[in-house]
Amino acid sequence: MTATTDAVVGVTTSPEPPTTPGRASRPSARDRFPGFALPALIWYAVFMIGPVLAMIVIGFLSWPGMLVQPGFAGLDNFSRVFADENFWTAAGNSALQIVVGLPVMIVLAFLLAFYVVQKPRGHKVLRYLLFVPALISAPATAMVFYAVLNPDGLLNGLLRPLGLDGAAWLADPSTALGAIVAVELWSGIGYSAVLIASRLDGVDAEIVQASRIDGAGDWRIAWGMYWPIARDFIGVVTMLQFLSMLFNSAQTVLLLTQGGPGTSTTTLSYLVYRKAFVETDLGYSQAVGLILFVLGLLGMGAIRRVLRATY
Amino acid sequence: MAGTARRPLLDRAGSITSGALAWIYAALLIVPLYYFIVSSFKTNEEIFESPLAFPSTWDFGNFTTAIDQADLVPAVANSALTTLGALVLTLLLALPASFALARSTGRLGKAVEGVFALGFLIPSFAALFPTFLLAALLGLFHTRAFVVLLLPATALPLSIVILTSFMRTIPRELEEAASMDGASALQVLRQVYLPICVPGIATVLLLNFLSFWNSYLYPLILIGPDTAQRTIQVALPTLKVDAGTDYGALMAGTLFTLLPVYLVYTVLQRQMQRALVSGAVKG
Repeated sequence: MTATTDAVVGVTTSPEPPTTPGRASRPSARDRFPGFALPALIWYAVFMIGPVLAMIVIGFLSWPGMLVQPGFAGLDNFSRVFADENFWTAAGNSALQIVVGLPVMIVLAFLLAFYVVQKPRGHKVLRYLLFVPALISAPATAMVFYAVLNPDGLLNGLLRPLGLDGAAWLADPSTALGAIVAVELWSGIGYSAVLIASRLDGVDAEIVQASRIDGAGDWRIAWGMYWPIARDFIGVVTMLQFLSMLFNSAQTVLLLTQGGPGTSTTTLSYLVYRKAFVETDLGYSQAVGLILFVLGLLGMGAIRRVLRATY
Repeated sequence: MAGTARRPLLDRAGSITSGALAWIYAALLIVPLYYFIVSSFKTNEEIFESPLAFPSTWDFGNFTTAIDQADLVPAVANSALTTLGALVLTLLLALPASFALARSTGRLGKAVEGVFALGFLIPSFAALFPTFLLAALLGLFHTRAFVVLLLPATALPLSIVILTSFMRTIPRELEEAASMDGASALQVLRQVYLPICVPGIATVLLLNFLSFWNSYLYPLILIGPDTAQRTIQVALPTLKVDAGTDYGALMAGTLFTLLPVYLVYTVLQRQMQRALVSGAVKG
């Protein structure tokens, strides 16, 4: 058998390919109406779609506190948000987190995955380890890093014998955001690598061997073969991590720095949280939530264009 | 690739770089974890003075301190209760829905499937405040019960996508044979589909176990600080105090919250990895 590009395209990522069986039999009326899906649909509408719709409505309400009767505000919340310096700081922090953090995470995860699928010595141990951050909850991760990064913590303890002065990483405005991004990278790289490795595992070993015989080095095989083959799947992983960074950074920030010192670690998603539950400026909070939602969609579109382009 | 002749150094630059990166990252994973585990047996002074040293004595005092101070025992029970309740509810909702969607051939089924698939895009976190209002509206604010009702909704899109693709692989002939013998749709689901879908169900259970057990913001806001109701993830950060955190106790408490997950992972390692990969979602 000769390895063809068709063999590459035919590789599936999931262990069970979603095959569609031939629909030879005539469907009955019951088959056409998915009645059994109704309870799930209702549940989903009440607990997920409902709150999102409510978020959109509240974004246009003037609602300065829980006990205040809300009134219609039109676009006032948005003009208030856009005039607020804190919003732009938060937007900048989120942008930095994503523009710097996301490419670093994906490129490192890809290299890691490439290494693991070559089955070097110790790859089983490595695969086991890569999963560990995916198992640990956000509070547990945050508490470990709270201990690592405190002025008397592990990081400074390791720097001291090297003659370096550490810092109060989480309390210093110049390092706090970097520390938050580092924690996200720590927990995100391994998981992304495992996902990407599952895709690279499906690449036909024969074509890799063939190009080795033709004299291609590892670097070229990684970026010239594996990357293009896995590009659409890497796109999916990138979107996943993008959404997770954009929306879920609030928990890490809340647990480690509460947006401070000053506003140096206030990200957009943390701003949504703080405005809603600390300052009870509800219209403002949900207006930012709406902006976040739109940014999420725009970002996904952009990632799609970059990583799913036809090859 | 084993067995090939030694290649020149330049050719191997790629694997040397990625290999070095891989093992540096592995060290970055191991060192903090090692630090945190040994710290859970040490006092603050010992932790600060020699962060990587072995504890002088294996004293479990930090664990009892953590458990007492943050009321971890009821918190574990609450987490277990919430997770279990939400898992059962998720299956009760997702199984029939996936069954219906996998068998449906009409346009309506496609549309419903699309609605669930869109769920991946919903920033449920941004809608935390409306969810909080919903809890108040239902009279379930500051209760575990609301979280048990809410979590399955967050898990439905992924669970339905996985189960539907599993059920699509089941040949229709099997089902027709059962119907011919007079089985109702519910019986077909229970006696034909369920046994075949066991791996899919296991995947969904494991994935959701992780995300339910590890969820933080929803329980924090919706259940609140009541020690009789709060979950382990909410209880853990209370060990961190603004002035004078007892790091030993904090690390012991963290270790305590990880034990159930780690136990499940060790027993079901292969299934868990497969589940996480096919689920492609982060808790």
